[in-house]
Amino acid sequence: MYQYSPEDSNFLVERVNQFEKQLKRHLAGDLDDAKFRSLRLRNGLYMELHAHMLRVAIPYGTLSSTQLRSLADVADKYDRGFGHFTTRQNIQFNWIELPEIANLLRDLSDEGLHAIQTSGKATRNITADPLSGLTDGEIEDARPYCELIRRWFNLHPEFSWLPGKFKIAINGAKLDETALRIHDLGLRLVRNSEDQLGFSVFVGGGLGAAAMIAAETASFVKVEDILSYLESTMRVYNLKGRRDHQKKLRIKFLVRELGADEFSRLVDEDWQQTKNDPNLKLNLVELEQLKKDFALPIKSINLGGFEEKVDFNYSIWKKNNVRSHKINGFSIVNISLTKLGAAPGDATSEQMRILADLGEKYSASELRTTKRQTIVFPYVRKDQVYDLWQSLEKYGLASPHQGTLAQIVACPGRDYCDLAKAVSIPIATRVQERFNDMKTLLDIGDLNINISGCENSCAHHHIADIGLLGMQKNGEEYYQITLAGETLHETVIGKKLGPSVSGENIIDAVEIIVNVYLKNRIDQERFTDVFKRIGIAPFKEKVYE
Amino acid sequence: MSEILQIESILNKDYESVNLVLFQEWIESFDKLSKLAVGIIVGPSDDVSLIKDELDFIKLIVLDFNNFDDGRGYSQAYLLSKRWQFTGEIIGINAHLDQLQFMIRSGVTSYVLLDSYVGVNEEDYANGFSICYQEAANNSGLQKKY
Ligand code: HEM
Ligand code: SF4
Repeated sequence: MYQYSPEDSNFLVERVNQFEKQLKRHLAGDLDDAKFRSLRLRNGLYMELHAHMLRVAIPYGTLSSTQLRSLADVADKYDRGFGHFTTRQNIQFNWIELPEIANLLRDLSDEGLHAIQTSGKATRNITADPLSGLTDGEIEDARPYCELIRRWFNLHPEFSWLPGKFKIAINGAKLDETALRIHDLGLRLVRNSEDQLGFSVFVGGGLGAAAMIAAETASFVKVEDILSYLESTMRVYNLKGRRDHQKKLRIKFLVRELGADEFSRLVDEDWQQTKNDPNLKLNLVELEQLKKDFALPIKSINLGGFEEKVDFNYSIWKKNNVRSHKINGFSIVNISLTKLGAAPGDATSEQMRILADLGEKYSASELRTTKRQTIVFPYVRKDQVYDLWQSLEKYGLASPHQGTLAQIVACPGRDYCDLAKAVSIPIATRVQERFNDMKTLLDIGDLNINISGCENSCAHHHIADIGLLGMQKNGEEYYQITLAGETLHETVIGKKLGPSVSGENIIDAVEIIVNVYLKNRIDQERFTDVFKRIGIAPFKEKVYE
Repeated sequence: MSEILQIESILNKDYESVNLVLFQEWIESFDKLSKLAVGIIVGPSDDVSLIKDELDFIKLIVLDFNNFDDGRGYSQAYLLSKRWQFTGEIIGINAHLDQLQFMIRSGVTSYVLLDSYVGVNEEDYANGFSICYQEAANNSGLQKKY
């Protein structure tokens, strides 16, 4: 697995030392709140009245067992024994004491982990397909590109004070597990007609109150030219982005106001000045080295006469959580940390250590994190999947609900979040209670329900099959329903079904929607395909009749 | 901008006093001002591309970094120094200690801090790292890694 060089690790320590000085100046009253806010966010630190949260990056979502253990140690030593895996390949610690932050970060820097630019108005942690390198038909593993681009924008002198946050995702696979077109900037690895490798570039996506799908600003940028193209995009944004309006800071508003064509033209005009500058070319020698560093640690094996165990619970779990691997003899295993009634993504230090140990035993000491807040074991031998399942069962990590409708993505909502308009987790629990029959769940198959407690859309309800958005109506909690959002095959923002539905009736509404789907489904048709075929009317009719 | 409006001149690195005009004045009275070897004050909203063909007539350029979160000055500095090769001084005024490293690497040649800081080593903030990861207008002696 790729590891930082001593120079890179030293850089992390230098950054921690700098942040420690800033923190001390702030605590001594020599650095005002506003400035310190801007500085601390750039280092992933959120300060709330009673607790401080630190967001640590999991670059391209790849962790070694050793790194996961160091995160578990941090959870024990500096937090209350918990960490929270986010939807964007970060982990958050919620109960951090300010004076301990520098030591915490020093501990992590030993393992090549850091909090640099995990928040604030700069380039954020760059996300990659959690299945990078593992699936058939992939153009290339995106992670070496993530790493080179991450480095380039690490404390970038010109682009560290952008109008708003800037999230980048890179995908090299056929299916888009990264949801790249809802990012500020998405890169898709492609080959052109001359078989050269490059990127299609999409700019201006985002969820929240004004959900937008990123527009394609360039259909093909050669790999070696990508840094200058990204710089030009950020330069246009830095100079022209809406700094005057708190709610219009993100690049999506600039792209919308200028129009995608004009925005692309401005980027291109700037890029013509720099694209031939040899100093801005991606370092192809380094790229080759990184490709070696990220190469899969496994070779195909012939398992010959291996026979799969027969066990009802195992086969259910396997159906929903085990995927085929491009390397013969291996499987990809998905593990959910979600428990009924708890915030998805929460992990105890004990669970982290168990996963680290199991990862070492069954998955070449490597784990991945996903936007569904699950953990992926990327290299499990087919003849060891059953053993792994048994261990997961033992630790309560093999719920057969995973990969079914019951695996709901819910934000903390009104129970835990001050910004919420309505509850989220109790709705998730009620849906789970309504659909508590395994046979029905298996029949329905993988259907995503995502619930956000307010328009900040932390649970990404816009891109779920069924999205619920909490709101207030006459002092009561209501939910707006959106249907058939998706990102995997194409990017679609869910369509609003109609007037919002009260908290009391929302579970009935969800059930009606699922039933309309089942009634109209042909064979194994997905929810979005049924929706495309029959339209919104049949759903609307039944829900509001 | 209120503070910078009061500045009418600034000392350059040779300790000469250089008269300053606002960006807008320069645009409007180019014919007159271009003969006077003045410096111009550029605010974050000013479009520096409007003066890119007039740089030979400008003695020095002052960029305003007063607003901590407004990062336009960094792009302005980059464009002036690197792209259009302005050879005069680019002075960052109302500068903040914690942003010196970014200003200098974007092409600012000298700075005037907004607040005075007691007991801090400015050099630490101007140049606190042993490596950098990207090409910039001025790599300020840092070894570029990759
Ligand atoms: C299950 C728990 C949660 C989920 C799934 C969730 C999801 C997310 C995600 C994915 C992001 C983007 C973070 C990134 O850039 O990596 C985010 C940001 C945010 N979350 Fe949540 N979140 C959770 C907890 C909370 C809580 C407890 C609060 C309120 C106290 C909150 C308020 C916010 C806000 C205001 C942002 C925007 C911050 C920014 O500027 O980046 N979230 N959330
Ligand atoms: S979506 Fe709203 S309610 Fe839910 S966690 Fe985010 S900010 Fe809080």
